[in-house]
Amino acid sequence: MTETDVRATLRDWVRRRAPSASVEIADDTPLISSRLITSLQVTDLLLLIEELRNAPIDPASLRPGAFHDIDAIYAAFFAGEA
Amino acid sequence: MDQLLETSRRLSDLSARHQRPIPVSGWPDKVERPRWFTSPQLISLYGTATWDSLDEIARQELSFWEAVSFYSLNIHGERLLMAGLAQRLYRPGLDVVSEYLHHFLAEENTHSVWFATFCRQYAGKIYPERTVAFGADERADDPADVADFLFFARVLMFEELVNRYNVTMANDDLLHPVARRINADHYADESRHLVFGRRLVAHLWREHCAAWPADTIAHVRGHLTNYLSSMWREYYNPAAYLDAGLPEPWALARATWSDPVAVAHRARHTGPVLQPFVDAGVLDAVTAG
Repeated sequence: MTETDVRATLRDWVRRRAPSASVEIADDTPLISSRLITSLQVTDLLLLIEELRNAPIDPASLRPGAFHDIDAIYAAFFAGEA
Repeated sequence: MDQLLETSRRLSDLSARHQRPIPVSGWPDKVERPRWFTSPQLISLYGTATWDSLDEIARQELSFWEAVSFYSLNIHGERLLMAGLAQRLYRPGLDVVSEYLHHFLAEENTHSVWFATFCRQYAGKIYPERTVAFGADERADDPADVADFLFFARVLMFEELVNRYNVTMANDDLLHPVARRINADHYADESRHLVFGRRLVAHLWREHCAAWPADTIAHVRGHLTNYLSSMWREYYNPAAYLDAGLPEPWALARATWSDPVAVAHRARHTGPVLQPFVDAGVLDAVTAG
């Protein structure tokens, strides 16, 4: 899966869970502080990221800010794989 | 308040009479496989096309890794629960239940030893958690009374669901004796925790809800509904599928979550899990459904 595909899949995941369909989701849209995603949705998001990477993640190894926005998610989980 | 104090004292007496030693004893060095470690009807894939395609040995192997997953889930839940209980031991307003909170904390610690011993000794691993739960996921701006209520409500919801699995497996002759004993002992202690949790959640709701504005009540209800969904998601663990040798474990977890058989399984258990919240007026029957 290309970087473009991964980012599009992540944006789509966030958009489907946004409180309003009119919310615009860009790769630098804050996800946590704007409450587009909550900590209770992280399980679901981690499963999606694991599936896209085809490898498990140990959340204990995550650095603060890993879910700040889609840019941060891509950098934390996919950038080293290209 | 008197009723809560009486319950707390009665449960403290019972806990004192049923103390269990922390180190496990009488467990074998190894458990022989293939055997059943999770009741078949509680295995996440049960009844799906994938389940039908597995032979008996593959099903039993999956039952072992799902037991490791279930115990791992309990370890993570209880770790956060213990942290939250410790923070609240001497909280003003909760002082009437302080004595029982000490028993609660001690029993959760003992349970974690059982679960961790099984996972490490027989599987060589504890699965990592994929969630942020008790104590760590309140909104930073939640006032203390809302945060306390949500903490005890999440604890109750977690234990109501786990208890349904425990009671089934405590009585399942198919299971390996160690798995059956863990579930039976856990069920015995959790029965007291459930009595306490149901009474405390109902008490805290009555105490506070009239003063909470509508948006706080909506937040509380939304949070608990999302928590239940997040908790169920953990029961479909791709890491367990991977260890059981099943192909494409993440796609399998996603597909199984939406499988009508799995949806019906969750619905069967969700009703009873939420009933105490409906009885207390926290959730209405429509929200809970």
